[in-house]
Amino acid sequence: MLAKMNQTRAMHWLGRQLLNRSNPASYFDPLAEAINPMWVQAYTPARVERILVETHDTKTFVLRPASRWTGFRAGQHVNICVDIDGVRRQRTFSLSSSPLLWQNDGMITLTIKRLPGGLVTNWLHDHLEEGAVLGLTEAFGDFLMPAVPKPVLLIAGGSGITPILSLLETMAAEHFRAPVTLLYFVRTRDDVIAGEKLEALAARYSALSVQIICTHESDEPHYLNDADLDSVPGLKAREVYLCGPGGLMDLANELLYQRGLGEEQVHCTFFAPPVSASLDNETLGGQVSFAHAHLDVDSSGDATLLEIAEAAGLKPQYGCRMGICHQCSCRKTSGTVINRLTGKASGPGEESVQLCISVPRGPVTLEA
Amino acid sequence: MIQLDEQQLNELQKDLDAVRDEVLADLGERDARYIRKIVRLHRALEVGGRVMMPFGFIPPVFVAATATLGVAKILENMEIGHNVMHGQYDWMNDPTLNSQTYEWDTVCTSESWRRTHNYEHHTYTNIIGKDRDYGYAVLRLSDDEPWKPWHTLQFINYILLSVFFQWGVGLHELETEKLRRREISWREKLPFLKDFVRKGGRQAFKDYVFFPLLTLPVAPIVLAGNVGANLIRNLWASTVIFCGHFTQDAETFTERECEGESKGHWYLRQLTGSSNFTGGRWLHILSGHLSYQIEHHVFPDLPAHRYPEISERVQEICRKYGIHYNTGSFMSQYQTVLQRVLRYSLPERRSANPVNV
Repeated sequence: MLAKMNQTRAMHWLGRQLLNRSNPASYFDPLAEAINPMWVQAYTPARVERILVETHDTKTFVLRPASRWTGFRAGQHVNICVDIDGVRRQRTFSLSSSPLLWQNDGMITLTIKRLPGGLVTNWLHDHLEEGAVLGLTEAFGDFLMPAVPKPVLLIAGGSGITPILSLLETMAAEHFRAPVTLLYFVRTRDDVIAGEKLEALAARYSALSVQIICTHESDEPHYLNDADLDSVPGLKAREVYLCGPGGLMDLANELLYQRGLGEEQVHCTFFAPPVSASLDNETLGGQVSFAHAHLDVDSSGDATLLEIAEAAGLKPQYGCRMGICHQCSCRKTSGTVINRLTGKASGPGEESVQLCISVPRGPVTLEA
Repeated sequence: MIQLDEQQLNELQKDLDAVRDEVLADLGERDARYIRKIVRLHRALEVGGRVMMPFGFIPPVFVAATATLGVAKILENMEIGHNVMHGQYDWMNDPTLNSQTYEWDTVCTSESWRRTHNYEHHTYTNIIGKDRDYGYAVLRLSDDEPWKPWHTLQFINYILLSVFFQWGVGLHELETEKLRRREISWREKLPFLKDFVRKGGRQAFKDYVFFPLLTLPVAPIVLAGNVGANLIRNLWASTVIFCGHFTQDAETFTERECEGESKGHWYLRQLTGSSNFTGGRWLHILSGHLSYQIEHHVFPDLPAHRYPEISERVQEICRKYGIHYNTGSFMSQYQTVLQRVLRYSLPERRSANPVNV
């Protein structure tokens, strides 16, 4: 281990001396990519092996990551990066397969639903083909199954089923010895993702009971209610896992809290779609977090990030203050900004922004 | 400089902004593919040059290896490094092509370059006393700077600057002229000097120690080839850059006329202070498209390979406002640069026709 670390440190030192970069392998990426995209070192490449259609708006992508990928635990997610029209886009998705598939066959799956107006999800559906290669980060997240068997309730909404599929498969394979109940909310029968897989799981894993609830098949919409929770035996003793749209998560948290379940018992995860672009002045401004300075400040109106930083007493590097010189470019880790010159909205993910012409819209986090 | 009233300047700004917006709206796959292709070519040339170099005991191989490595360095400095650091490809969100993290294959640190070039030179272009790139504090290229006897021999300075160009650029931010005038102290320059030594040391170690030692039996050949490659790059970079602002018709400005200027006035200054040269596609690529210096100065953060496409539109706008679009063949433009260096080595000649500045 130590030898390996020393080796990487020596390589990084040599990389800086010879190639002006700390990761010498990435110097050869442009050449490697031309020969075999799976040799790229800057990220973990993953080849699309198969694409399965789950529903009218959901597909499962079966990926084979390069063998150096370090794996994951059930319930975790990864960032993927794809180049769309020349722009590298990063998005987070839950892994829908069990870690066993990775350990045995070297494959993982991502189950992805189209978001209305979503750039990346729609591109993945329309343009990603079998044989293509995309980038992967290491897995992360703490939406993990209990270390020791105890009763579990899983509440999923729509595409929120994805990390839960991974959890359930793993529990079944490991013979997790405690009652497991899944309440799965979908709009209509047609929206059920991995219905056959859930049926098969319930058939071979007797501890599991699955309830699929359609919210929009009767005159009155059926959202999560007390009756649904009453149907779960021994609810108060259960570890609860929530994954779904904001409305469902809020409702579930509220109802569970009323029933006296503690915060430490309830686990949540979900990735909300980005807000669609609008130039309405009233939506501008928001909390700006400067990660390195450990500083959060509120802003309103069309103040730029540079002005906000300076008003907060920070001294970010800047030059022309009119969008020419890029001296003030800074890494944004999350949030949406509007370009003051073009009026265009940025993506919600990680990217470089020019502080002097970027106006926050909603909360923004910067590496500054 | 041609005088435009406020309304004309506003209109000029609108016209140029329209060109810029059009390109920005069209950025995408094509630009990404172009720069990645150039990066791939650079890697192939550098690897090829370094692999060939130890076989340089065969004379034609020595020439080929040196030229290949020289061209690799030129591509990396001009078409990749310079342009990436301008933020031309920041929109791609590719960490290896990011203006703030890119480090290039030359003595000058990227950080120092972004301060002295992106900010000072591109903001205060050709303003005597503010744009330190104007003559690099060693050459007198305009009568706005008073003549001193040592200017007589400035042609020698010019040759030296060209030969050691990467070291000159690396030391640019030291501001020796201000140190001499005691306006700043050495102590203030300590952090800069530290960075300079680290990066300069790294560059020298790589080309003059590591690779020669790696191929010990032929170390002198590899050393000579690497020196040659750096020299090729130095001479070419210096020549291209001198053609960008020191041609006969490139105008200079005073601090007073630029005080509190509008964006339109800034545009006008970029148009009249820069000069292009014409040539084939590869001449443009090897110059990092600084052969389109005018377009570059008007739109420093648009991907440079776009400049040839928008050049006609920029010329049209220049004609509309009666602005001189300074261009000519590479040789003719370079000739006026040499004339300028020579002419201003002598004191101002009031009676004679002054150079058109």
